[in-house]
Amino acid sequence: MARFIRSVRDARGLDAVLVWLALGYLGVFSAFPLVYNVVISLQTVDLFSLASFERPFVGLQNYREVLGDPVAGTVLWNTIQFVVLSVVFQLAIGFGLALFFQQDFPGATYLRGLFLAGWIMPALVVGAVWSWILAGDFGVLNYLLRSLGITDGNIFWLSDPNVSLYSVIIANIWLGIPFNMILLSVGLAAIPRDVYEAAELDGAGAWQRFFTITLPLMRAPLGAVVSLGIIFTLQQFDLFAALTQGGPSNASNVAQYWSWQLSFQTYQISYGSVVSVLMIVFVVAVAAVYTRSTRHEQSY
Amino acid sequence: MRKYVLLALAILFVAIYLFPLYWMYVTALKAGSEIFRFPPTFWPETLHFNVADVWVRLRMDRFLTNSLIIAAGTTTIIVAVGTGCAYALARVRSIWMDVAMFTTLMMQVLPSSLMITPIFVSFNHVGLLDYPRLAVVLAQAAKLLPLYIVLCRTAFMQVPRELEEAGLVDGNSRLGAFLQIAIPLARNGILVTAVLVFLLSFGEYVYSRSLIGERALQPATVGLQSFMGPNTSDWSGVMTYSAIYVTPILFIFVLLQRRIVSGLTAGALK
Repeated sequence: MARFIRSVRDARGLDAVLVWLALGYLGVFSAFPLVYNVVISLQTVDLFSLASFERPFVGLQNYREVLGDPVAGTVLWNTIQFVVLSVVFQLAIGFGLALFFQQDFPGATYLRGLFLAGWIMPALVVGAVWSWILAGDFGVLNYLLRSLGITDGNIFWLSDPNVSLYSVIIANIWLGIPFNMILLSVGLAAIPRDVYEAAELDGAGAWQRFFTITLPLMRAPLGAVVSLGIIFTLQQFDLFAALTQGGPSNASNVAQYWSWQLSFQTYQISYGSVVSVLMIVFVVAVAAVYTRSTRHEQSY
Repeated sequence: MRKYVLLALAILFVAIYLFPLYWMYVTALKAGSEIFRFPPTFWPETLHFNVADVWVRLRMDRFLTNSLIIAAGTTTIIVAVGTGCAYALARVRSIWMDVAMFTTLMMQVLPSSLMITPIFVSFNHVGLLDYPRLAVVLAQAAKLLPLYIVLCRTAFMQVPRELEEAGLVDGNSRLGAFLQIAIPLARNGILVTAVLVFLLSFGEYVYSRSLIGERALQPATVGLQSFMGPNTSDWSGVMTYSAIYVTPILFIFVLLQRRIVSGLTAGALK
């Protein structure tokens, strides 16, 4: 015992204890639920069998039923659109702003930092503000679009099944721009100035410099931002809760919201966990690719 | 000259981007009838302060107290459990530390809305649902612990190893060196990260919505959502509520902006 205490105070034992404390916590509250999730998805779990440990084991039947549900197709397509459109626009706008704020003018760093105000706000409040901006009758966005002559009538952003998904995407793009911009700014700052100066001396124009220097040298940061964008977009839940609740009739429903609805609104808990298992596998795969690629970069 | 054109453009971009925030505050300051005017007014004709009314009518004191309890509890657990781990990961280089780091990073990406199903079922087994706010704190701490570890690790990496070694030569134990040399020197990074964790937990929604059934124990996010039914017309109330809720968050953010930004960028790309 005394030896143990001494090793904790003095030697490698300290690091082990410190690391195991955190890993132990994550093991109980993250890793265990992760494994338990798979068990639930193979059983029949509803409000009646929730408290009991002896739940009927049904194998892959839940998976067949969830994937056979006509809603599943809609949700999958919506999720793909949600992720792809969000990531593309966040990246494009974020990259554009990062390039702009890379230029030398007074207050550039401070003004750039102000964008993060959107990121730090609770996403539910962001959703509340956007649902007021997007409101059909009195929303300010409809007013702006009409006075600019882009649309004739009011668009019912949140209740029209043709556009409700896009209204959540718009809010999510707004939320994601700052993070993309800040991370890409770091990447841009790491490119040595003299590379540009040399190219300029050789007569390369602004576009040429962008395509032959900036883009190739930004490949790693851009890859990181795309992976992180996919991960964060699949974590988005609050905006759906505040804006459309997945409706009308699943027109704006995505996998992470559907999983919650199945578990907590219709209490088909094993179905909810089926969706959850499938999505977690996907998210972890993206994260593993991302982490491995950044490790790889570092070793150079 | 060119510099000022760029500055003007930059201010324009910030203004466009932050328009939703502006709109929230302006709506909160408008009188009930002016809110529903079309075309809308971009500056309130008559200033109308209904902060006190909304605070009392929507029971904001109760909701914000619960949010504070959840944020404080989460931050306490994370700082207690995560600081040492961040330190060890910053100091020791070995294959096992790489594995620990990788595991931590993987735990960071698990979406709350997907983890809530198994968390709900297992918390139900052990009776944690009888203490719903504690349940939210425990789950939320697991969600943000990896982020805290990753960001604090960079703070510890900036502390020169030599200072600790000097402490060891002077007869300090390693635990002593960690507590008396490393932590004080990494203090700023730890503090800013803790504030970040606090702010993020202050706006937590998924776990609270799913685990806290009792109205009196719900935090401000859940409260706000419940006032926004599909046919909300009380936009004055909702926007005032939102403004009261986010103003302290934005205030802290503006104060710490520079540090938060540099902490995030250093941690996220490593």
